[in-house]
Amino acid sequence: MSPASLIPVADTLTAPNGWFQFFLMLTFPLHLFAMNAMLGAGLVAFISHLYPGRAYHELSHQLAKALPFLVAFTVNLGVAPLLFVNVIYGHLLYSSTVLMGLYWLAVIPILIVAYYLTYIYDFSFRKLGNLAMFVLLVVLALLLTVGFIFSNNMSMMIAPASWSRWFATPGGTLLNLADPTLMPRYLHIITGSLAVGGLFTALYSTTLLKSTPEVSEVGRKLGMQLFTWLTLLQLGVGTWFLLSLPKATMLRFMGGSPIATALLVIGVLLAVATLLTGFKQLVLPTVWLTLPLVYVMSFMRDVVRGNFLAPYFDPTTVPVQVQWSPLIFFLMTLALGIGLVAWMLVRLKNTKKAC
Amino acid sequence: MNYPIWFVPAFGGGLLIALVAIVHVFVSHFAVGGGLYLVLAERKAIKEKSQAIMDFVKKHTKFFMLLTMVFGGLTGVAIWFVISLIHPAATSLLIHTFVFGWAAEWVFFLVEIVALFVYFYAFGKMDDRTHQTIGWIYFGAAWMSLFLINGIIDFMLTPGSWISTSNFWSGFFNPTFWPSLFFRSFMSFMLAGCYGFLTATFLKDEEARHRMIRYSGVWALVSLILSVPAGWWYISVLPDKARSLVGGASPTITRAATVGAFSLAALAGLVMVLILLHPRARTRTLTVVVMVAAMGYMGAFEWTREAARRPYVINEVMYSNGILKSEVERINREGFLKNARWVQQKEITEANQLEAGRELFLHQCFACHTVGGFNNDIIRRTKNMSYGAMRKYLTTIHEKRYFMPPFVGNETELKALAAYLTAGLHKKPLADDGGAAGDRGTVLYEENCAACHSAESIKPKMKGWELAKIRAALDKLPALNPAMPEYNAPAPDKDAVAGYLFSLNNPGADSSAKDQGATLYEENCAACHSLDQVKPKMAGWPKKKIRSALDKLSALNPAMPDYSGTAVEKDFLADYLAKHTGGAQ
Repeated sequence: MSPASLIPVADTLTAPNGWFQFFLMLTFPLHLFAMNAMLGAGLVAFISHLYPGRAYHELSHQLAKALPFLVAFTVNLGVAPLLFVNVIYGHLLYSSTVLMGLYWLAVIPILIVAYYLTYIYDFSFRKLGNLAMFVLLVVLALLLTVGFIFSNNMSMMIAPASWSRWFATPGGTLLNLADPTLMPRYLHIITGSLAVGGLFTALYSTTLLKSTPEVSEVGRKLGMQLFTWLTLLQLGVGTWFLLSLPKATMLRFMGGSPIATALLVIGVLLAVATLLTGFKQLVLPTVWLTLPLVYVMSFMRDVVRGNFLAPYFDPTTVPVQVQWSPLIFFLMTLALGIGLVAWMLVRLKNTKKAC
Repeated sequence: MNYPIWFVPAFGGGLLIALVAIVHVFVSHFAVGGGLYLVLAERKAIKEKSQAIMDFVKKHTKFFMLLTMVFGGLTGVAIWFVISLIHPAATSLLIHTFVFGWAAEWVFFLVEIVALFVYFYAFGKMDDRTHQTIGWIYFGAAWMSLFLINGIIDFMLTPGSWISTSNFWSGFFNPTFWPSLFFRSFMSFMLAGCYGFLTATFLKDEEARHRMIRYSGVWALVSLILSVPAGWWYISVLPDKARSLVGGASPTITRAATVGAFSLAALAGLVMVLILLHPRARTRTLTVVVMVAAMGYMGAFEWTREAARRPYVINEVMYSNGILKSEVERINREGFLKNARWVQQKEITEANQLEAGRELFLHQCFACHTVGGFNNDIIRRTKNMSYGAMRKYLTTIHEKRYFMPPFVGNETELKALAAYLTAGLHKKPLADDGGAAGDRGTVLYEENCAACHSAESIKPKMKGWELAKIRAALDKLPALNPAMPEYNAPAPDKDAVAGYLFSLNNPGADSSAKDQGATLYEENCAACHSLDQVKPKMAGWPKKKIRSALDKLSALNPAMPDYSGTAVEKDFLADYLAKHTGGAQ
């Protein structure tokens, strides 16, 4: 059975494909930022438990307060890119989702438990004592599991050659473990996430925790250390991921395609630059370099996806029947939403100042 | 047919959707109504300068945040996960059609999160006016989420003119949009009142506790009363087929509607008692009872809505099994397996017939029927039917039971599915002649009744029934039970089925039952007319004419007495005469 014969027909789009690509590329990195901050804050809080001293303890406590927010925003900012992935690649995504249905559904209870545990960690931080550290460990393990499930689905949806396994195992228990790119892909994103998360912690410590200098200082130090060492490690993991890719895809990054190669070069240069500022513990310059870096990384990810799918699916061939008014309605809503959020945050800031 | 199926034999996806959806519905409606409740309760506290009430509102906000943001938010995502797993084709169609509606809903979701965080964490630290405004922003965003999702959900029940225009707005503002929006809004206020009840019982300050319980009670009661006309409006704009389903043509819906009505009554009564009469009845247990009743009301409504669009997942557009109505004709012509992805048997041979049948079952029936599970178990439903009966049943399945989708595919494929459902599941013989298994009554019973009633289950129900009563009942099945379809068959077929049913409780009477007409003739006519005498007189009479003559014998010939038999007996007699005088059917 040829893999292509299994691929469902894609439904008609209501706006030119480029719009969905644009929204996907715009919102996915936002989800990454929130997710990275969530994982990084969790890891730094956990490491702080291992150090003696009040400052470290207080850092854990302050990060505990941030965790529920970060989970909420990770989920919310994940909805938008997942929606646009549904539009562009839905026929592929739903197929791989069915293949791993049981694991995919497990994401929800895992997240609910992890989310509530972050609240318990936050609201009962003092009561929990040493137990807090283990609550946090469970949260981290659960969140990393969710990431692994996502990596499986996102890599299986672009590998229709693995789909015929469904005929023998239709119970939703298939993962993409035989795929040589799975592990390096997962480790690549987790290493990157924890690194950026470390940077977030440093930023959080040097801004919102400024009022308690010793806490701010340990937060900055730990966060920046995490960022630099993991980014250094990432050079190795990233290379492993690159080498695990099918040769044709890999060669596109090695000069085969000008865009892919340019992305890789810019990515590596930005990463090296963040290492330089990182080792010097310069928080803000590192942040400014990392923001575009995450965007470049997610563009590269899109190039990989396009290459994997090239034999099977060309998004430009999907029929389009344009209706502009819903798109305009969404853009207006988005503008209104951003305005309201900005207004509320300004009000909150003013309140804090007044206090 | 376009997508793979998540196949866990004993586990039905439909049930999973219902579970997740109903849980989410309670929390998400609370998330909307609760927003308004919080702002207004806060305003009450400010106005009455009551610190106790203010503390209560703050505490309630925390409960509200933990419940709606975590559980509500994630179960919302869960619905999306579940439907894309169980109904990928429908999910894809909805997402592609309403992507920007959903995208806008995501924006409001974001605003909700920020507003609720600010509202909770700045409680008591912000000036009242700004804090109230934040509360209003939360409620506005939450209600807009309801507004947007409401359009998409109701589209599935009543797609309206979208079917011909494919226009976003005509699908969104579909015929049930407004009544449903009102109904859901009142539901959400009612639930807010119910949750308010519950949290208010935790208030330590006695005076404030009574005040807040009464306040919540008024909320719940007024919203409940207002929801009734909105619900009625909703039902009145349903398309005819959906309305007749809600009216009782589908057994599950009837049950759900009953549960809904009962809990509605129970709820209304309890709330009244709580608020108006007994301060001492303001206990936590009773508030929980009220809450459960409210959820029953709402759950029944959701279940009914889901069931009312059967056999479609998107009414008149896509059947529950993901097959587009517009494609049925083409697929019937070309064959299902040839058009389907995710099947291995593209051509049916004698050797692969059962395997092909299994694949057809998977893609056309498994969406609603488990194999050996709790929900619509296909094994139990098919155990009374022979291969021949199943084939006949499948050809008219949608006409006989509207809420089942039609079989889609060619004749060979239909045979393969019938083979799987009988030979495959029950090891029954694949006798090609449906009639070979027994006499006519038995065969007709299998073809028309056995899908729902096994002989063992129907036998005790008809204990003591006369043959005539059984025969008469076959003429008015829907009157016996609204869930039963009309049995449209020629009178002799009905006679045969009646004979078979009668024989279940009267084993010896089988042969006499079949000759009921002969007996009646002997008892009432033969004294004066031998059959041979009558024959030439009635030559060429159609049965209808014979039957109507039996109603006015004295008019035909004043010497003849009128026949005093029942209408059914007259039918039997007319049948008998028509058969023996050569009259046309």
